Amino acid sequence: MGPAARAPVVAIFEDSSARPRGTGTGSGAVWDDAPCAVLVVDPSGTVVGANAVATGLLPQAVPGARLEEAVPHWLADAHRRLTASSAPLSGPGEAPGGEAGGRSLRAHPARGGNGDVVWWLLDDTELRLAEDALRGERERTALLAEVSETLSATLNVERCTEAIVRLAVQHLADAAVLIAPAAGRRLPVTHGTPEGPVHGTAEADPETVPGLSEALQGFPPVPSRWIDPALLPDWIMPPRFDGPAGSVVVTPLPGHGVPAGALVLLRRTGHAAFSRSEETFARLFAARAGAALSAARLYAEQAAITETLMRELFPPGLRQVHGVEFAGGYRVSELKEWVGGDFYDLHPAAGPDEESLVVLGDVCGKGLEAAVLTGKIRNTLHALLPMAGDHPRVLGLLNGALVSSHHTRFATLVLASAARVDNHVRLRLTSAGHPPPLIVRADGSVEEADTRGSLIGVLPRIRARTATVELAPGETCLLYTDGITEARGGPLGGDMFGEERLKDALGECAAMPAEAVVERVRMLAGQWVAGRSHDDMAVVAITAPRTVHLSAVDGHTRGRYTT
Amino acid sequence: MTPMHRPSFALAAETGPGTARLRVTGDLDHETTGELVGAVRLHLGARPAPDDLHLDFAALSTCDSTGLSGLLLVHRLAGARGTRLHLDNRPPFLERLLDITGTLEYLTAPPGEEPPGQAGEPEQRTGAL
Repeated sequence: MGPAARAPVVAIFEDSSARPRGTGTGSGAVWDDAPCAVLVVDPSGTVVGANAVATGLLPQAVPGARLEEAVPHWLADAHRRLTASSAPLSGPGEAPGGEAGGRSLRAHPARGGNGDVVWWLLDDTELRLAEDALRGERERTALLAEVSETLSATLNVERCTEAIVRLAVQHLADAAVLIAPAAGRRLPVTHGTPEGPVHGTAEADPETVPGLSEALQGFPPVPSRWIDPALLPDWIMPPRFDGPAGSVVVTPLPGHGVPAGALVLLRRTGHAAFSRSEETFARLFAARAGAALSAARLYAEQAAITETLMRELFPPGLRQVHGVEFAGGYRVSELKEWVGGDFYDLHPAAGPDEESLVVLGDVCGKGLEAAVLTGKIRNTLHALLPMAGDHPRVLGLLNGALVSSHHTRFATLVLASAARVDNHVRLRLTSAGHPPPLIVRADGSVEEADTRGSLIGVLPRIRARTATVELAPGETCLLYTDGITEARGGPLGGDMFGEERLKDALGECAAMPAEAVVERVRMLAGQWVAGRSHDDMAVVAITAPRTVHLSAVDGHTRGRYTT
Repeated sequence: MTPMHRPSFALAAETGPGTARLRVTGDLDHETTGELVGAVRLHLGARPAPDDLHLDFAALSTCDSTGLSGLLLVHRLAGARGTRLHLDNRPPFLERLLDITGTLEYLTAPPGEEPPGQAGEPEQRTGAL
């Protein structure tokens, strides 16, 4: 209350104080026509005057009435305090105030003649309402900020769901129910109760809740007053929700393009129904919740795709197939949310006279598009396994399956077919636009396999030349992606690891088992980048074992070893 | 050439009668390739389309797989307009990348004259699988 609002009171007081006692009670007193209520009370607490506005608000306050019987306590108390003390009338403190006749009033005292007190009762109802509305808006803004902050803190779908219903119960309703889009025939439902969230599924038709199936499709919510709470089915009611629902709001959770679900807010009978502004606020809340939930879902899907693709890489424990050693190593780029472009597969031979096929490849680009192309390549190659005896033909068919007029995304890869022949391993190696495999000889020399070919997926026709290589016991063939050779690091931080360093490192790997060669290369590349950002790195080693454990018949006796 | 001192990516265009020339400076990678392809589309969209499109790589620092994918797209776009693509002043690393991936001959062949393929079966685009 600013000084401006008080100024007229003082002016009128000075004017009225000049009149003798009694004139105030009759018609024609200066406050009769005042735009606010005016009461004149004598020192004994008896009303001696009241203008028309005052009697409108306080019908009992007529001349002769006892003040405490005619007005609310807060005003009677203020009068008593005032007459009991000799303090100045309008002190620095706030004027007493309270309700009367359904209005909010502030009482400003002034001295009349003969010790009378003239109470000017200013109506500040509108101001109060505006202040309440402002406070409400501030609280809602603060809540929305809290909602965004809380929800953005997690990319876990379950925790995000729990946070949404918890916040809804704290700030919006007696209970909240979050319904996720149907997974098959069941609806994932999370009930928010004061005791905490409860997850479950309901085999229920969303049509049974008015407005729910529309909300799940992302249509705007129907007004709360159109929904009869008595029609709500049991499955939507939270456990231990005592009493029937008195009012209900069903609002969509808008996601990124697709609806992220729907939120149902419930209030008990006897609690205030949802006002229009509360419904609007519920929609704002739902918009933030939907965005957060949808981001969490997208992240979960992407993480699941990454995990699926990674899990399928090289079956763990498959170290030796019919006398040939295989080992694979993968170092994912630190951008873990992306599916990398590198992959490898081992298709083990069915018998000792057949070849196992290793595929190692690098798909251009990253993310979902790269993952789709990777999946296509791996599936197609799997289907083409019966033709693996002719690498160029396999690559030609693969190329034909991948060429698209929509893009020029490509893959480079190496096919390696390996079979044991006596104590050697015979390899057929074919590069399709990929760095040729490196052969580590028993004497420590390192050679490039003599194979060349075009990349896959863009050119109308491709070329490929297969190299045949024999590995003596202890010799290794290494397939790798350029993530290894192009890894930047070293003493100056910006140099590529390069093929020469890789060859030098491999020169020390003669006679090592496949697993050890892979570990050595991974370790050196890891030391080279030393925590700096790097691309995906994949390596596969194919090794002719130095000693072959032929048999251990019953698992107790020592087997025979040959070299 | 360290990551701290790489030149930023830049394109400079020059057009003459029947010819467009784009000088590519810096790294051709997933962040910059779109810019090159956009500029090529712009020049190929001219009427009449240029007979020759020169990409000058004298000041190219690096080219990754996305960059190569972009060059393949540029080649395809040029072929569709009947424009000859020239990859001028190729640094050794680019030459090597095109060589290993088997794309050098394809990218530098005149339009309509596909280098002979030998692998696989002709026109496997139909669902023979």
